[in-house]
Amino acid sequence: MGKYNQYVQIGEPEAPNAGFDPAMIEIAEKNEKVLLVLEDMGGPGLKWFTENAPNRIIECGVAEANAAVICGALASEGFIPVVHSFDFALLARAYNQIRQSILVDRFNVKLVGRGGAWGDTGISHNYVETLGFMRCLPNLIILSVADAVEAKKAFTAMMQYVGPVLIRQEAGPVPPRIYTEDYPFQLGKAYFIKEGRDATIIATGLMVGIAVKAEEILEKEGLDVGILDISTLKPLDEEAIIKASVETGAIVTAENGITIGGLGEGVAAVLCENAPCSMVLFGVQDEFSQSGRDSDDRGKLAMHFALTPEDLAVSVREAIAKKK
Amino acid sequence: MAANEKLIQELHSKYVAVLQNMFELLDNSLSGHTGGSMSMLDIIIALYFHHLKLNPPDYDWPERDRVVLSKAHCCEAIYSVLVEIGYVSRESLKGYNEYRETFQGHADRWATPGMDYSGGSLGQGLSFANGLAMAEKLKTEMNPPVSEIPQFLPRLKTKHNPAYRTFCILGDGECNEGQVWEAAMFANKYKLDNLIAIVDYNKFSLDGPTEEIMPMAPFAEKWAAFGWWVKEINGHDMAEIINTLELANNLYGDGKPKCIIAHTVKGHGIPSWEETHVHLARGVGVEVGVAEGRKIYG
Repeated sequence: MGKYNQYVQIGEPEAPNAGFDPAMIEIAEKNEKVLLVLEDMGGPGLKWFTENAPNRIIECGVAEANAAVICGALASEGFIPVVHSFDFALLARAYNQIRQSILVDRFNVKLVGRGGAWGDTGISHNYVETLGFMRCLPNLIILSVADAVEAKKAFTAMMQYVGPVLIRQEAGPVPPRIYTEDYPFQLGKAYFIKEGRDATIIATGLMVGIAVKAEEILEKEGLDVGILDISTLKPLDEEAIIKASVETGAIVTAENGITIGGLGEGVAAVLCENAPCSMVLFGVQDEFSQSGRDSDDRGKLAMHFALTPEDLAVSVREAIAKKK
Repeated sequence: MAANEKLIQELHSKYVAVLQNMFELLDNSLSGHTGGSMSMLDIIIALYFHHLKLNPPDYDWPERDRVVLSKAHCCEAIYSVLVEIGYVSRESLKGYNEYRETFQGHADRWATPGMDYSGGSLGQGLSFANGLAMAEKLKTEMNPPVSEIPQFLPRLKTKHNPAYRTFCILGDGECNEGQVWEAAMFANKYKLDNLIAIVDYNKFSLDGPTEEIMPMAPFAEKWAAFGWWVKEINGHDMAEIINTLELANNLYGDGKPKCIIAHTVKGHGIPSWEETHVHLARGVGVEVGVAEGRKIYG
């Protein structure tokens, strides 16, 4: 087991998104109420639906506002619509529709949003601001996954939960596999990949893989740094966050989006009220993203935004130095 | 059933009763979207007291026809009906727009028994109606009924009647919203012949005449071009409303969504509201209109 906690075994690089399709298919096979709503941007399990249940594909075309409201109505009649697109289309274009026709009534709609700092699609598509405008919405659960195992488990948990959920799908540096197959994912619970004494990195999504590498750098310097994987971005697991603060006294949040309204500010709010400590908010500063074909974590966009493992290690040292 | 003198008489007495409820509601709130509520009131009466398949007081009856009030600011007209058909207690008329009351400022399905749609952000209702109509098609396909219900929609064109029909009431100003036309395309694509949209074409929105604010002519042709069956009617002629609803109903099975464009008058029936094309009446504007209404309708 080594330095990591149970269910953690750092493995070969693997895209987290690989976990979505099998989870979707497994559930769709069992439950005919699961529908795939399309916005001309594909979706999880599309091939399976096309071959096995074409009547359960509802293609709305490039009309996201209409699609979001249709999802709400289908859910009001007992169906479980899953809809996928880029954050800018799925969430930002249809923001008011998601609020009014899904969240107000807590309809059982599952949103799969593609975003984050990385991607070759440019400033229009690489949404770094998503959490800032989605975390403030009542009635919505937001999930973000670190690897393919967590992706499959989180997707399954999302489908079993009755109510609106957004699960994030990120492009960018392919993280190592982090969890073993028997990892017990729980909605609303963060997981300590490793506990530390000197500081804790509280990371989400692709940044968990980068946190694992940053920890390796810091370990060589004799620092004992913990890693907490925040897979449920809303509601935050306050208990785990407070534990990390109390036990290490130095917190670095790590996200591949703008920290304003993101994980960083969310964790800061929890700690301000409950267990203030030395803190650094690591992520994209107040800036839009652009194209970048980074497939490893030391690519050009990672360098531009200072999101590499080395940069994260610098922030951890800073948080430790600020400790009283 | 086609319109006849007796039915028209009956519906007129319902109209008066509902109007009394609305006046009581306005007495208490002194605020309401009275212009648009009055313009669509004849249509609402025809739907709720004649055309819709309902099972009061079971407002959640799975086979009830769904009504999506897309112009959800005009909820006071429907609220007044819901009291009359017994979904909601008369007491609720006193709490319009008030904290934790049944009758919220805009339609809210969790607050008000009998409302199928939470609205207020214009342009979304037709999409919601699409979803409901689509759900009906899917449910019927997944679980076909074992036998036809003889008294409801005895049709020859299709194997089965719809489990329920979906009605959507839109405002004309609302049709400025691009989403309405996204929804119109979708209904055509999926052949939602179980969906009937009714546009309350009262020609005025908040800032003024809809044709000045955003010209939409040729309006009926637009719907037709989007693949809809369209019929223009006088929205204050009860016989024409009833006959058109029945006509649209009898076309079920043709694979076309239906759009009834009802030419109406904003503030219809209340002189001061008609004159000012009132959108949102408050205070004295409500008091004067209600007093006029009580004089006319007793």
